[in-house]
Amino acid sequence: MHNILSLDGIHFSYSEEGPVVLADLSLNIPAGKVTAILGPNGTGKTTMLHIMLGLLKPFQGCVAVAGKPHKYYSKRELSQMIGLVPQFESIPFNFSVIEYVLLGRSPYLNPFQLPGELDLEITENALKEAGISHLAEKPVTEISGGERQLVHISRVLTQQTKILLLDEPTAHLDLENQNRILSLLKRMAAQGVTSVITTHDPNAAIFAADHFVLMNKGNIAAEGGVEDVITTENLSLIYRTPIRVEKTNGYTMVVMDKMEEYG
Amino acid sequence: MTKDKYNRFLLLLGIGILVVFLVSVFIGRYPSPPGMLPGTLLKDRLAQQLVLNLRLPRLLVAFLLGMILSAAGSVLQMIFRNPLIEPGFLGVSQGAAFGAAVSILWLGNHPLVIELSATFFGLLALAASYYLSTRIRYGGWVLRLILSGVAVSALFSSGVGVLKYIADPLTELPEITFWLLGGLYSVTWRDLLFVLPFALVGIVVVYVMRWRVNLLSLNDDTAFSLGASLTRERLIILVTIVAAAAAITAISGVISWVGLIVPHISRRIFGASAEKSIPAAMLLGGGFTMIADDLARTLLAGEIPLGILTSAIGAGLFIYLMISMSFKVRRDA
Repeated sequence: MHNILSLDGIHFSYSEEGPVVLADLSLNIPAGKVTAILGPNGTGKTTMLHIMLGLLKPFQGCVAVAGKPHKYYSKRELSQMIGLVPQFESIPFNFSVIEYVLLGRSPYLNPFQLPGELDLEITENALKEAGISHLAEKPVTEISGGERQLVHISRVLTQQTKILLLDEPTAHLDLENQNRILSLLKRMAAQGVTSVITTHDPNAAIFAADHFVLMNKGNIAAEGGVEDVITTENLSLIYRTPIRVEKTNGYTMVVMDKMEEYG
Repeated sequence: MTKDKYNRFLLLLGIGILVVFLVSVFIGRYPSPPGMLPGTLLKDRLAQQLVLNLRLPRLLVAFLLGMILSAAGSVLQMIFRNPLIEPGFLGVSQGAAFGAAVSILWLGNHPLVIELSATFFGLLALAASYYLSTRIRYGGWVLRLILSGVAVSALFSSGVGVLKYIADPLTELPEITFWLLGGLYSVTWRDLLFVLPFALVGIVVVYVMRWRVNLLSLNDDTAFSLGASLTRERLIILVTIVAAAAAITAISGVISWVGLIVPHISRRIFGASAEKSIPAAMLLGGGFTMIADDLARTLLAGEIPLGILTSAIGAGLFIYLMISMSFKVRRDA
């Protein structure tokens, strides 16, 4: 399996005296697949995405994109390779959906350039791909939470990157919208786009991902296919709560048990 | 708003401003209020001198003043993600006021000296705000700059208070007070030439980077992921437009509310995208200031300080916008 993104021996903390967030972390992200990163709150998932993006620089270790370390890319080249949908993205002014999604074309324009017809066409296609063409002229503040997440994802599709980093893309969404977003990522994977998602919902991860990474205390606790990672032992140990992994008709499902029944 | 509709709107706005400009040439107290007939200009030599040497430079400076304050307000509100910010908030207005007062007290009250001193202290306040923000040890960069801007403004403002206190109450104090109220009553071609380089650089940079301002208004992580060099790009655009605001404030005195209210009106009519709202805000601001200045020089027998009029009209409009139903200030999605 060909890897498009690799982290090698990453050490990171937010300040010199501060606690270590990531310790000697190494990880490979397979190309053209959906990779799900699971782990408790505060375990360094978002930090790791920011390191993959190049927004945070590790104290030690190397991040390579398509086999080439970050430092050999310019900021603009990197932004043509990796896109991000952050966990919280506030849009402070009342842009229309299409105006906002069009910003995804920034990596292809210099700071003095305006987007052209081609950029607009790519943006319209991204809206179509995400199934929200009908929202194009609506103000971003007047759409639902699920629609807004699809707008953020359209923005990152407009960026036309090989790698998408999505920080909890399905948090706070209803089942229909979760399904829309995760199915969209699977369709993108079929077109060769690699996605890395963080999530707290193992079932959503099982639904969407081909590759699983379980993080704990700033390092990788388990990595691999669903059988290797999503196990009763792994999840119960890391989430410190009673969790059962069940199989029905060959489909893996994660079920939570009541706390008092546990130890 | 579609591109065609926007272009038509902007064209209409341009024509409207041209009309205001032409009408303003004939408005004034000569030969008698509210102004002269076009025929007078052809015959009367004094009228020609008056229009050429006083009204034309004054109108052009009024237009530039409105343009710069509105552009600076739009840019600052978007980059700082705060719709209540105006161009003076990084200490520039109070710094310029302090510079003018220093000049009136000790450097002689030659207009050029006052302008140089006001520009210098305006830029010094900007630099101080920026430097202080890099030394604050907590908070995001928006909070740090806002805090340091507030602190630097307060320092210069108290400095102005001290200078007013020690100024000669019969000669220097009225001059300081009149400068602080703001006005274009003494503007000449020389003033226009003084401000023009700052104005052109500021306006051109904001105009060519207007679409980019949208990007710079996003969360840091998103803007970074879209390839923006955040610190460098924000600094280029902030420094050029705020320097223009400092230079023009040195001529006009403290003119408030234009830079706060015009960007709101523009966003409301033309939408939030800076690509459309910034050029429109510049035109709206230029027109607004020209009209306010016409009123300043014709409403009463004596000149009304422009700052008082822009505050009164601006605050009135602001209150109207705040209570009208369709006005939405949204700071967080």
